Amino acid sequence: MTAAPPPGDGQVGLVIDGREVRVPKGTLLLDAASEVGIHIPIYCAHPKMDPVAVCRMCLVQVEKLPKLQPACATVVSEGMVVDTQSDATAKAREGMLEFLLLNHPLDCPVCDRGGECDLQDFAFRYGPDTSRFPITEKVHFDKAVPLSDKIELDQERCILCWRCVRYYDEITGEKEIVLQQRGVHTAVATFDGQPLRSDYQGNLPEICPVGALTHRQYRFKARPWDLIRTKGVCPECSYGCNVFVDSRDFEVKRFASRDNPMVDDMWLCDRGRYSATSWNSTSRLRRPLVRDAAGGVRDVGVADAVKEAARRLLAVSERGGGEVIGVLGSPDCTNEEAWLLQRLAREVLRTPHIDHQLAEMLRLGPAEHALGIAEIESCTAVVVLGPEPEVNAPVLTLRLHKAATKRGVAVHRVAANAEPRDITARVGDARLVGVVADETNRARAAAVASALAGGGTAVKRMTVTRGGNGRGVKDMGLLPDLAPGYRPAVPAGMGGRAILESATSGSIQALLLLHAGGVLAGLGALVESALRIAKVVVVIDTKPGVLADAATVLIPGHSLMEKQGSVTNLEGRVQRIRAALPPATSVPSELRVLSMLAGALGAEGWGSGDLMEVHRALAADVPAYAAAGNGGRARWEVAAA
Amino acid sequence: MTGRVLADDRRVDVALSEQTRVEISRQKERYPSARSAILPALWAVQHELGYLAPAGMEEVARILDLAPSEVQAVATFYSMYFQKPGGRHTVMVCVNVACALRGADDVVAYLERALGCPSGRTTADGMFTWQSTIECLGACGYAPMMQVDHRFYENLTPAKIDAILDRVAGEAGDDGHATMQAVAMPKAPPSVAPPPAEAEGPPSDARMPGTVKGESVPGQKRRRRGRPEGNDL
Ligand code: SF4
Ligand code: SF4
Ligand code: FES
Ligand code: FES
Repeated sequence: MTAAPPPGDGQVGLVIDGREVRVPKGTLLLDAASEVGIHIPIYCAHPKMDPVAVCRMCLVQVEKLPKLQPACATVVSEGMVVDTQSDATAKAREGMLEFLLLNHPLDCPVCDRGGECDLQDFAFRYGPDTSRFPITEKVHFDKAVPLSDKIELDQERCILCWRCVRYYDEITGEKEIVLQQRGVHTAVATFDGQPLRSDYQGNLPEICPVGALTHRQYRFKARPWDLIRTKGVCPECSYGCNVFVDSRDFEVKRFASRDNPMVDDMWLCDRGRYSATSWNSTSRLRRPLVRDAAGGVRDVGVADAVKEAARRLLAVSERGGGEVIGVLGSPDCTNEEAWLLQRLAREVLRTPHIDHQLAEMLRLGPAEHALGIAEIESCTAVVVLGPEPEVNAPVLTLRLHKAATKRGVAVHRVAANAEPRDITARVGDARLVGVVADETNRARAAAVASALAGGGTAVKRMTVTRGGNGRGVKDMGLLPDLAPGYRPAVPAGMGGRAILESATSGSIQALLLLHAGGVLAGLGALVESALRIAKVVVVIDTKPGVLADAATVLIPGHSLMEKQGSVTNLEGRVQRIRAALPPATSVPSELRVLSMLAGALGAEGWGSGDLMEVHRALAADVPAYAAAGNGGRARWEVAAA
Repeated sequence: MTGRVLADDRRVDVALSEQTRVEISRQKERYPSARSAILPALWAVQHELGYLAPAGMEEVARILDLAPSEVQAVATFYSMYFQKPGGRHTVMVCVNVACALRGADDVVAYLERALGCPSGRTTADGMFTWQSTIECLGACGYAPMMQVDHRFYENLTPAKIDAILDRVAGEAGDDGHATMQAVAMPKAPPSVAPPPAEAEGPPSDARMPGTVKGESVPGQKRRRRGRPEGNDL
């Protein structure tokens, strides 16, 4: 006997390459090996999918077993002695790679995957030096066949690992891709050659271990060694998927997934992923401007622009008090910007009229986002009100699918206006129920939650906020009735729409708009007349448009790809973002500009607007954020205690 | 029997007959998992249409509650499901070991000359589509062999092949897949009773096993092994 009898702690002891390993019962050999840093090459195995053991790349020698075993599908057992370096293992690897390369076109020099391809890497590390198969005998397929407007297939490069098929089977459930035909003619295909329709196609090139499935957006754009990789957060919605922002020559070339099991579980939606190149737009505001009463425009330095903004804001508030000023941020602001903006409004400008969007959202509370994304998997049942939550946070759909298919969670998709009584009847007995709704359905979600709660049933809500940092700016008190940390604001002010309407009627005379271009876009007449009638319009923004055209003082801002700070996702997870691109303007950061403005307005002790300084002040003001750190969830219950 | 065409690449809109759809639903009931019914369901479609039109596979998917892609994956895996409309009759030559040892290559070469088109193609008159990429059909004892529509022809010689082709082509008003239905979907064993009145095609005695020496019907073999009668597609 090679090892002691199992000690009964649910752990299993084995020896891999002479190293003793203890892992929980049921662990796969592959995972046990990586636990002690032993690399086993894999193709079909995938950390998010069930093992199928079709590629045979991971064969290893296990003592007392006559044949080599696939590490990806072999469960460890007590006393196992594994050799991943034996001659037999090495020979198997060589053999498998020789097979895989038989019909491979060897076109790495023109393959988008070159440099980050498991076939290249393993062939180099474990493969044979030469092939015994004549290069002229290779079976060929059509190259660069579009499977949709997003994905391209090069069948010659496919090693038939089944990952793409299983992705569509297990992860999205859409079953769009299958392997057709047989033997050497086996090929990845869709039904009757129809284009892919999924909203999650962009994950395919990332799960494909080779260059068979590639992004059309990224075709011939860069080599991995050309790319500068920055850890970021997808700015498209408030789900907050973690991404790598891969840039080259000061342009974003792609968003790649950066697995956060608590949030995205390594999947991105196409809307988010392919928004990457939109950040390269050269249509940007670059220089500060001041407009005089007659409409004349002056190019000024940022210091003068700030001074001019302060002078004009003081002029209106001296006559009418702070209340004549309306302040609008947006979910495009970082937490630090949002916090500083509300501080400027409440402490310096002395106006209560603050918001981040037009739809009225009063009396928000932390209970509305108590349910964590990963927590969905431990619910008994989840009720999703209407299609909006999944439309506005697409990767949520994949988490719900996983919960339903792999964790046995009952997912009930109901109409947003369904009767709470009917929903309760459908859910039946449950230990923990998640109620997921879009922020426009807050009231209904509350009604459903209270109908469900009681007896042995606990209810937790998830509210899908609109806009990338929709949750963060609410936490930071960019709200008319709430200060940072959901403390009541005294006095409460007007919300976004009321601010614009008051500007039109003349009771609001000045507007301070920080990154509000997005939320005000498409509102037409209301915005236009508000901008036209207001005496002072201070705009800090990135893109040209109605706001920039109407600004009396215009200060260029930085895009989310050009700055540092933190954003908060819909479940309250505070995540860092970093600059992936150089700024498009020489104007300093928004934090610095706001601090300069505070100084010019006569406030003291505002410091320089350095990020760390603002972040520390923010954390002192909102302890839940201090506790969350980078990547943790803001726990309001904890903060209140 | 809608929408049958001879041209290789033309697609037609098809609507499966009520009978075929009922058959597919019945197959679904027979298995614990609907997936298991894909093969018999596809047979039923091919019996009706002569090939697996995409619309037919979609219909199978709908009835079995599967994704159409899954159905097509299965359909393309097996060489005896036809992906394209073919000729009136289908000729399949076994080229596996036993037949190869007994001259399957010669049969293939002979057929190519006799029919005047390569394997996988349809004769100019639309009479025959033939295939030499077929694996063992289970008649190794009588190699070399070929299957025409749903009948086996064994111990082949050039003379026999000529006779078979002539006879099959000469069957007035015959229709390849009508033959398949009459022979392979009998309500009762054809050697015992005449085919049911609703079966299409000419009277069945002309095509009974034994009219050509060495001819047999696959369905009949299965019945001998005691499977339930009549539905073994
Ligand atoms: S396309 Fe890629 S993921 Fe799909 S089977 Fe081929 S190698 Fe695997
Ligand atoms: S779900 Fe939202 S955060 Fe995630 S990739 Fe899609 S748009 Fe981006
Ligand atoms: S990775 Fe284990 S068999 Fe493919
Ligand atoms: S080898 Fe031809 S029938 Fe078996």
